[in-house]
Amino acid sequence: MPKKILFVEDDEGFYNIFSVPLKMKGYDVIHVADGAQAFEKALDEKPDLILLDIILPGVSGLDILKELKENMDTKGIKVVMLTNFGSDENVNKAMEYGAEDYYMKYNVVPSELPGKIAALLGESTDSGIKVTG
Amino acid sequence: MVNIFVLIAIIVESSVLLGVCLVLLQKSSYINKLLSEVKRLEKKDNVFDGGMTQEHDFIPVLVHEMRAPLSVIRGAADLLMKEAGELTVDQIHTLLAQIKTSTGGLLRIVNDILDVSKIGSGRFEINKVFANINDVLSEEAASFEPLAEVKKLKLDVNLESDVPKFSFDPDRVRQVMNNLLSNAIKYTPEDGAITVSSRKVKNNIEITIADTGLGVSDEEKPLLFHKFVQASNHTKIKEQGSGLGLVVCKGIVEAHKGNIWVEDNKPRGSKFVFDLPLS
Repeated sequence: MPKKILFVEDDEGFYNIFSVPLKMKGYDVIHVADGAQAFEKALDEKPDLILLDIILPGVSGLDILKELKENMDTKGIKVVMLTNFGSDENVNKAMEYGAEDYYMKYNVVPSELPGKIAALLGESTDSGIKVTG
Repeated sequence: MVNIFVLIAIIVESSVLLGVCLVLLQKSSYINKLLSEVKRLEKKDNVFDGGMTQEHDFIPVLVHEMRAPLSVIRGAADLLMKEAGELTVDQIHTLLAQIKTSTGGLLRIVNDILDVSKIGSGRFEINKVFANINDVLSEEAASFEPLAEVKKLKLDVNLESDVPKFSFDPDRVRQVMNNLLSNAIKYTPEDGAITVSSRKVKNNIEITIADTGLGVSDEEKPLLFHKFVQASNHTKIKEQGSGLGLVVCKGIVEAHKGNIWVEDNKPRGSKFVFDLPLS
């Protein structure tokens, strides 16, 4: 059973470059572009990890994070912020609300993203997950 | 003092073109360097001379707008280089299409920067030809139909049939329409409506792009066509933009000796109106 990742990202370009290597590593990537649908999707899908942008249409990623971590059914889901806004205020808020990590999009090489989140998914960075294309 | 916008534009324009070539050559180091340079500019706004407070404030916004497509281009190039053997044909197509889209976005920003620079220095020129403006308006509106359809927006065109031919720059008027229609689509929620209309008013042709979007407050209306100002309603949503598009629109319309302004579109939304003199 592949690990499930919910990717909350409204920028098609960033979704394309980051989802490709995740899918290649065999993860089941579910995409939500509308922030307002992110929480419901997380409740329905129970992903193993959520990659969460901050600036989203409808609602802030930080508000989504807070809601996820305050709900008994979703608080255990690991959340990694993946954003272009790295102010101290945002980082501190994300950590305070319970995010596992905070990545700046322009600092993450897409092919290295699976390795960066592997440990959070309980896998080694060279997990040997079958490449499915 | 070296004009900051010309400097940024030259760096980015040359780099984007070179960057795409380098992707084909499987070398993305140039884009990496450019991203580092963009990052440096964002952090060190003191690299520019004084007397440009407003421009200084705006640099992080502009740089952010450029950094997103640059990051995507670099990411796509990285995957094409490192994972070429594992990518499916569809994935390769998606990544190449993404490079093309992101490059187009960057070039639009660069062109706006260059235009704003020329407008500011009085070097902005237009090339008038004798033509039918309704043809330009209907063609431009038609080009936005697919985009409107995706967002479930109704796009109506209501052009006065007896608008006479006159001298104007069709390419620049297209650019104005492109900016105004892009904004209208960007800031109008799903199931809204956009209407493009033209009419003769005294010795002018008046063109209106009306939407049922977020609208602009009375306080912000006079500021909207000035450098680096965006309506606060507009910054609340994801689509931020460089904030230069309306400055360019104003420059183009004024180069025709016309006017551009914004009105409320009762009961909801905005009307962006510009007029061009017939003679």
